[in-house]
Amino acid sequence: MIQRFRMDFKANIIIALVFMVLGFMLTVQFKTTERQRNIRIERVEDLSERIRTIEAEKTQLQKELADLRKNYGNLISDAEVERLNLLAGTSEVYGPGLEIVLDDSTSNKKMGENPNLYIVHDEDLLRILNELRAAGAEAISVNDQRIGAMSELRCAGPTVSINNVRSAPPYVIKAIGDPKTMASALRLRGGVVDTFAFWGINVKIHDTDKVVVPGQKITRAYEYAKQSPTPKEENKK
Amino acid sequence: MTIYYAIFGLALGIVIGNVCPYSMPPEYGRLLAVAVMAGLDAVLGGVRAAIEDKYSTAIFISGFFTNGIMGALLCYFGAMLGIDMYMVAVLIFGMRIFQNIAIIRREYMAK
Repeated sequence: MIQRFRMDFKANIIIALVFMVLGFMLTVQFKTTERQRNIRIERVEDLSERIRTIEAEKTQLQKELADLRKNYGNLISDAEVERLNLLAGTSEVYGPGLEIVLDDSTSNKKMGENPNLYIVHDEDLLRILNELRAAGAEAISVNDQRIGAMSELRCAGPTVSINNVRSAPPYVIKAIGDPKTMASALRLRGGVVDTFAFWGINVKIHDTDKVVVPGQKITRAYEYAKQSPTPKEENKK
Repeated sequence: MTIYYAIFGLALGIVIGNVCPYSMPPEYGRLLAVAVMAGLDAVLGGVRAAIEDKYSTAIFISGFFTNGIMGALLCYFGAMLGIDMYMVAVLIFGMRIFQNIAIIRREYMAK
C-alpha cells in the first residue's frame, strides 16, 4: 500500500521527525502518569511504615512503663505513692463535696444587647474555680477534666478548652472539700453566683456526700523544670 | 520506505523521552494528553490521506503541529475560564481517530 508513494528524502525525514515528536510526547505523558501513580503509592507505603514503627515504639514504651511501675513500688511506700498521686491529681478521688452545673442563660435577650453577656465564658468558670480553691477544695474537675497543677482553662471559640480537651455547656464542676464552706463561698452576696443570676445564667449547686473526681491523664514530660537539690541531698554529698 | 523512516523516528522519540530527565508537572499533564491525541489523529489522518492518494506533506505537518498546539492552548484557556475543554478535545480527537481507523480498514479491505 504505502510502498506506492515514492517520496523524496526530505519528505521522509520530515515524517521521521513528526513521528519522533509523537514518540517523545507519548513517553513523557506515560512517565508523567506513572510518576503520579507512584507518588500516591509511595505516600501510602510511607505512612503505613510510619504507623508500624510508631506502634512498635508504643508497645516498647508500654512495656518499659510497666517495668518501671513494678520497680517503683519497691522504692517508695504505698502511702507516699498515694500522697504524690493526690498532690499531682493523677488518680481518681472521691469524698464529700459539691456538684455545680452551669448553663447558658435561657432568659430572653433584650434588643441591642450583646448576646455574649448571656453565655458562660472561660472567665466565669475561672472565677468559680478560684472561689472553690479559696474555700479549700482539694480536687476539682470540669466536665470530667481534672484541674491539675498544669491544667489550663481557656476560651476556644464557642467552647472551653480544659487540659486541651474542648467541652461545651452545660459545664459540670465537681469539687471535693467541705460542702458548706464552698457553697457559702459561692453564694456570697455580690459573689460569683449573684453575678450569674443577674444575667440569667443557670447555676445549680448540689452538695453531696460522695463526689467522684477523675484523675488527670498526664502525658506531658517536664522539659524545662529541673529539681533543685534539696538540703537533705546536699548533706549527703 | 517511508514506513521505516516513521518507525525509526518513533523509536528515536521514545528513546529521547526515556532519557530526558524532565516530566510534565501534573497540572499540565492534561494538556500534553490532548496534544498526544491530536498527534495520533494527525498521523492516522495522514495514513488515510496516503491511502486515498491525497497525501500532502505540508498539510500533514501543519495539521500535526497546529492541532496539537491549538488543542493544548484551548485546554489551557478553558481551564482558566472553568470550561472543561479537555473533555471536548479528547472526545473530538478520539472520534476522529476511530473514524480514520475505520476508513483505513475499509480501504485496505477493498483493495
